Amino acid sequence: MFRFYIALWMSKLSVIALKLTGHNGTDFPGTVALKICPDFLKYIAKPKHIIGITGTNGKTTVTNLLTDALAADGIRVLSNREGSNIRTGISTILMKGVTLFNRSRFDSAVLEIDERSAGLVFPYVRPELMLINNLTRDSIMRNAHPGFIARILTEEMPKETRLVINGDDLIACSVAPSNDRVYFGIDRMDTDTDRCINLINDMQVCPRCTSKLVFDTVRYHHIGKAHCPECGFSSPNCDYEGHDVNLMDMTMQIRDKDGSEESYRLINESVFNIYNIVAVTAVMREMGYSKERVSELLSNISIVKTRFNEQRIGDYTLSMQLSKDKNALAASRVFDYISSKSGRKEIILMMSCLGDTKHWSENTCWLYDCDFEFLADESFERIIVAGDRGLDYVLRLELAGVDKDRIRCTRNEKDIPKLLKLSPGTDVYFLYGTDSISLAESIASEIRCNMLAKSEVSEC
Amino acid sequence: MLRIEVLFPELSNLYGELANMKYLKESLSDAEFIETSYTDEPLFLTENVDMVYLGTMTEDAQKLIIDKLMPHRDRIRERIEEGMNFLITGNALEIFGNEIIEEGKTVTEGLGLFDFVSERRARVRYNCLYVGDFDAEGVDTIRIVGYKSLFGFSRGSAFEKYPFARTCLGWGINKDVKEEGIHYKNFIATYTTGPLFILNPPFMKWYMSSLLGDSDSEPAFYDDAMKAYECRLEEYMAPGKGWEY
Repeated sequence: MFRFYIALWMSKLSVIALKLTGHNGTDFPGTVALKICPDFLKYIAKPKHIIGITGTNGKTTVTNLLTDALAADGIRVLSNREGSNIRTGISTILMKGVTLFNRSRFDSAVLEIDERSAGLVFPYVRPELMLINNLTRDSIMRNAHPGFIARILTEEMPKETRLVINGDDLIACSVAPSNDRVYFGIDRMDTDTDRCINLINDMQVCPRCTSKLVFDTVRYHHIGKAHCPECGFSSPNCDYEGHDVNLMDMTMQIRDKDGSEESYRLINESVFNIYNIVAVTAVMREMGYSKERVSELLSNISIVKTRFNEQRIGDYTLSMQLSKDKNALAASRVFDYISSKSGRKEIILMMSCLGDTKHWSENTCWLYDCDFEFLADESFERIIVAGDRGLDYVLRLELAGVDKDRIRCTRNEKDIPKLLKLSPGTDVYFLYGTDSISLAESIASEIRCNMLAKSEVSEC
Repeated sequence: MLRIEVLFPELSNLYGELANMKYLKESLSDAEFIETSYTDEPLFLTENVDMVYLGTMTEDAQKLIIDKLMPHRDRIRERIEEGMNFLITGNALEIFGNEIIEEGKTVTEGLGLFDFVSERRARVRYNCLYVGDFDAEGVDTIRIVGYKSLFGFSRGSAFEKYPFARTCLGWGINKDVKEEGIHYKNFIATYTTGPLFILNPPFMKWYMSSLLGDSDSEPAFYDDAMKAYECRLEEYMAPGKGWEY
């Protein structure tokens, strides 16, 4: 234990050192702790109630929503909402949650846990409830395919952890079959189809008998309701099911497992975020909250602006959207969402991974898993691709059926504002990767000025 | 009209690999693409087709496809010997070897059509950029670019006897050799992904002309594809460039 205490104190000291030097490392204190005491996670005191959040997409949004909702209820929650979700980040946040003598200062924690890090985290951090929001394709280099991630989670999941799983995702449903669980989902929506139009569909074969699965409804990719006509395997019945989604007044109903209903406010109209609300509701209901209280707590919460930020500027709208880089499915969802919006559009794709450019070169296979075909719609007046992989994007867009006259390509991101057409009334969508947030913001400032100038509004 | 058979697209569709066929379709002037489902029998076993394509898949799908093709092993061998065009990319290559081993244990016997063994780790990913030289009769060396993103590597005499490419950057078929993939008659198998055709317009042009007999057409969006290819090659071969992830 001596080694552990040295690790604890040194990592606490490193937090002070980081503050004094103006740094904001959420991994560093945990790295220090684990370097000194590799079993740091074993010995660090943990809150009594731990809620884990994992899955490919939406982890951070759900963690933020849940943490905010619990905070709004007056509960002090330890959360890595602004930090890293891998072993070092989890070590950092748990360290911050204890006293110098390793007493937990929190009763509850909401921890976003990277699905690939399960093997390093779950032996020591054993969530009471674990949300699996979805398992879809992510970084090819790191995550290979969702079946690989489902296998890791199944092998590592603590036996006593109760799972809250997206029942519309049959890959997520396959995780840890012997664990106790509840399912959430969304009932048929107007936009559902009976056939997958996306390039990615990772659930076409029955996991039980390997016959062809039949989808009763397809929301996107492998998300929907399916059954096997040969062996009877099917999507589970959901314990918490969203329905009657109303995008006009931004509400939906959620049907509880006892059949009762409650109305909930939507945070935005993307299906991803509708799932996020149902997911948070399911977790809070499993924590013992009444549905009325959940609805009330969620009614005043919004998502952080680095993920989604829409602003009206003069005659224009600028919509900034974070699109997780090298994640074909996340980008496809954003493309689908934007293409469904009416009006004249321009879109900026600044999604090349800056970190990869520095160290080696981005693996661009994901471009061909991603539905760039959504951008072939003529409502996109101009598509601007920027960054080191611009030429790859041009070729991908051409293969998707986008007229080359509508594409502009620049290696230098700073040129983006000059390439916008900005016809009056245009909605500009600006997609940027997770390591381009500050660069995107500085470019967006110039775009805003141009929009104001064109709108003949004097203040910039 | 050319007839091109895409094997089991519902299973062999990882890493954007089906775009190899989408790009070929866009490029060929007159071709029929037949997608053979996992629940159907492959057409090439009984009918003549001009090309058979199989791309990257999950590890579970490898086993399903081996089980599916095993009863037809001798017929596949005949087709390869007859000179039928096969393009096999990514880990689909492993199906054609003797066995696939995971963490020291055999998980499945392969079709045994080429002499090699594939070994993988359960949770370790091997990623690199790739550049290699492909030599074919009657043409200058074609430089191949792409990626490798794998759980393991393969070893065996097939790669020494019939290499597809000689590695300039990145790993060969394993970390110890320069040989990459198999090129035997008109059977081409490579771990390289990209998708291969899209990242390599010179190779695609050679394939269309030499193996598919369509020398009148060129790869779609050829100028833009060549710009991206040349940019990538220059970037990868720049001194000090990192290539391993």
